[in-house]
Amino acid sequence: MPTLTRHGWFAAIVLTVAAAGCAPLRATSYHWPGADVGRYRTFAWGPADRFSTGDPRLDNNEIFRARVQRAVERELLPRGLERSNGPTADVVVHVHARIDQRIQSDSIDRALAVCPPGGCGPRVYAAGTLLLDFVDTRTQRLAWRGWAEGGLDAVIDDQVRLEQMIDEAVADILARWPR
Amino acid sequence: MRRMTARLVLTTAAACALVACATMRVSSHVERGLDFSRYQTFDWGPADALPAGDPRLAEDRHFEDRVEGAIEKQMAARGYRRSSPGAAPDVRIHYHATIDRRLDVNETDRRTGYCGAGACLASVVEYEAGTLVVDMVDSQTNRLIWRGWAQGSVQGVLGNREHLARRVDQGVAKMFVRLPAAR
Repeated sequence: MPTLTRHGWFAAIVLTVAAAGCAPLRATSYHWPGADVGRYRTFAWGPADRFSTGDPRLDNNEIFRARVQRAVERELLPRGLERSNGPTADVVVHVHARIDQRIQSDSIDRALAVCPPGGCGPRVYAAGTLLLDFVDTRTQRLAWRGWAEGGLDAVIDDQVRLEQMIDEAVADILARWPR
Repeated sequence: MRRMTARLVLTTAAACALVACATMRVSSHVERGLDFSRYQTFDWGPADALPAGDPRLAEDRHFEDRVEGAIEKQMAARGYRRSSPGAAPDVRIHYHATIDRRLDVNETDRRTGYCGAGACLASVVEYEAGTLVVDMVDSQTNRLIWRGWAQGSVQGVLGNREHLARRVDQGVAKMFVRLPAAR
């Protein structure tokens, strides 16, 4: 197997990232010590987010929210959590979404001469964060929080791509759910 | 130095006209699997509480009349009737207009090779983007069934009412093309 130089590896990674639209999904989660997440069998949806998403296209967008909820329900079922409408659910799930514009400078690309089509230069992209909060109904405390971040350029304007991105983000987040 | 500044301003203006300012991005989201032919009547509904508008567009009856007129025209063209007073409409429509600061990369200079002083350096420009969101809500289920929007720079638009009116008509017409037709 030919060995790549360190720079070569780096370039390969940068190229992969560029091909994936600058920012692939990154999922992170936090499990509150002491929270007995494995005990949960039922969940209920928390009230709609009162925070602005930072993008008027997604503020109060029930079509978006319903898609996220469907994806979460699909991912939670095989993990032994079923949706319950009553107040007796073990855990309440809250969904937050946030869109920010970010600037990506090109110093690495330029140094490696691996600039995307159009040449080297700064890029502006929309970064999206989808966050799921699991609040224990008994203790009223956050038990588990997971989120995924990724580039959303031109994705919100394309419903099919947005739906794929939601499904992917939710699957990535909940893949981190403790077994 | 002054020449350079003038050229820079020109470049920025040209790039702005080509990239951010002239283009309008229009799209929509729709609830899947709905038969839109069951919706025939509409009325205006209360707006969302959340997104605060911009004071430059708030409580501006001229602007609201223009938006409402444009929407009513598009709805009529698609066979929707305004529900009679006292009768419940099939759908309720509300809209909101917001203005956000946004960033864009001045790409045109690089592509056209028309660059300012020295090298062809892309610059990040800040502009104000206006978004008009139009929501259609099923009045029985109270669920959002369709949302259309038009987004574009409002540079030189807010202070020019004729220009603003044209942009509103254009944006509304383009977004309603995306409304699912009755089957």
